[in-house]
Amino acid sequence: MTSFVALSHGGRSSDTARAAPLLTAAVLLVIVFLFLPLAIMFRFSLNKFVPGQFMVEALVLENYQKFISDEFYRGVLYTTIRVALVSTILSLIFGFPLAYMIARARSARTKNILILLVVIPLLMGNAVRTAGWMVLLGDRGVVNMLLQMVSLTTEPIKILYTETAVLIGIVAVLLPYMIITLYSIIEGIDRVYEEAASSLGARPSEVMRLVIVPMAMPGVYVGSAICFILAMNAYATPVLIGGPEFHMMGPKVYEQITKVSNWPFGSALAFVLTAVTAVLTILSSITVQRRYGRM
Amino acid sequence: MNESSRLWKDMLGRTLYRAVAMATLAFVLAPLVVVVWASFFSNKILSFPPQGYTTDWFIRAWQQDVFRQGFLLSLQLGVMATLWSLLLGVPAALALARYNFPGREAINAILMAPMMVPGIVAGAAVYIFFIEVEIRTEIPLVGSLPGLSIAHVLIGLPWTVRLVTASMVGVDRQIEEAALSLGANPLVTFFKVTLPLVRPGIVAGAMFSFIVSFIDLEKSLFLVGPGRVTLPIAIVNYLEWNLDSTIAAVATMQILVIAAALLVSDRYFKLSRSF
Repeated sequence: MTSFVALSHGGRSSDTARAAPLLTAAVLLVIVFLFLPLAIMFRFSLNKFVPGQFMVEALVLENYQKFISDEFYRGVLYTTIRVALVSTILSLIFGFPLAYMIARARSARTKNILILLVVIPLLMGNAVRTAGWMVLLGDRGVVNMLLQMVSLTTEPIKILYTETAVLIGIVAVLLPYMIITLYSIIEGIDRVYEEAASSLGARPSEVMRLVIVPMAMPGVYVGSAICFILAMNAYATPVLIGGPEFHMMGPKVYEQITKVSNWPFGSALAFVLTAVTAVLTILSSITVQRRYGRM
Repeated sequence: MNESSRLWKDMLGRTLYRAVAMATLAFVLAPLVVVVWASFFSNKILSFPPQGYTTDWFIRAWQQDVFRQGFLLSLQLGVMATLWSLLLGVPAALALARYNFPGREAINAILMAPMMVPGIVAGAAVYIFFIEVEIRTEIPLVGSLPGLSIAHVLIGLPWTVRLVTASMVGVDRQIEEAALSLGANPLVTFFKVTLPLVRPGIVAGAMFSFIVSFIDLEKSLFLVGPGRVTLPIAIVNYLEWNLDSTIAAVATMQILVIAAALLVSDRYFKLSRSF
């Protein structure tokens, strides 16, 4: 118990001795139940899958080659990247004005309420929100009812089970992350910059374009990276809102591992997804930073 | 361009910006509002506009084993994840915030990893690992309470570590030293001085652990079994085939649990200030 409260600001070795017992259990838990499983899964992605025999020990790149040569799975990856990219950009465009409004709210009370309203949907979980979107977008849903009320259509329009619907669902999932990230950066930008620009004759649109947006770039990078990673790995939205004909990588990993029981190929899919996500995130942040300056 | 048309354009721009901001807020809230609303419709088949209102769907939802058991299981897992995350995470956070030792950044990265690795990838890996352990030891893990619990502690742990560490950094160490020099023993100092000072961080960590465990989809998806399905998974499984007011009522129940967790913790820390 003495290790909880250090009596002296001792050297590094005594710090290590005090810290070690406090950290051991937590670190072991993560290593045994996350890192070790990931390592085993990577090893299995190099095994062979023989129908009827489950998994055969091997050291081959067969599963990765199968992924590259299979047109269907390449298509699934393209769809995943396209959906993730478009939904990230949409979240950025629609999230920015609200993030700015929150950061510049006049009273602390308004600010707190707005933050809560943005964060609460995030905390309610994807299952609940996906249910909400299905009610909104279905043939007998709210959107179709409104469209029929204003006589834009007589027959219900098919919205659910289309890529548009998936984009709507994923953007709704991403927006709170984007808004909170942008808000925290814009909050830190001193108002005097805006005031100086306006008093020197800049119009509001110019203040936004030439002062706020460039200074908020770090938030744009971080927020976009978080959103892109989340969208690449989406599960519930593509399965439920996209329907059985819509294919993204996350659901395919689940399908291969639990339903088809093709562990080698399922594991390879998981690592292709992780690697592609990582490479695209890093590459885009390098090119964007080169174009718009460092964070 | 003359002055008045400039002013008009600026005003139009400002109105447009406000309209987009408010529309975005409405867009984020819409699914929640609609799902709660739909759970009270008296229509036999879920459609708009409602013909009347009823609370029958909640009774029907509770009468279905999969939802009642799912609700109780998610509650149980959430509490378990919270307690174990605190037990493992608070000491770890103390060590990270207080001591300067080689590899501190690496240890921090390891403890944050469960939050960083995508749920579907981590879920698949843990599933494969559990089955391999089952084959070798014959201890059932997939579809069992211990298996699900381990996964859920992993979900909560990084949140506890992160939020408690953040609240520790602001605590002045001299207050503890004063208590010690005035004769309090380290145990008393920890419980009477350190703990109250970091309480907002601990409450925040506990609340987030509970919520992220309760709403988890991807990791639980691989580990649920017959008769042992968490509430969000029960919702997703049901939605694959049906869409009616029963599921809206179940979703509303999940919303209520999380709202309750937020209200309970609201006394000790302000959610809106932790972002």
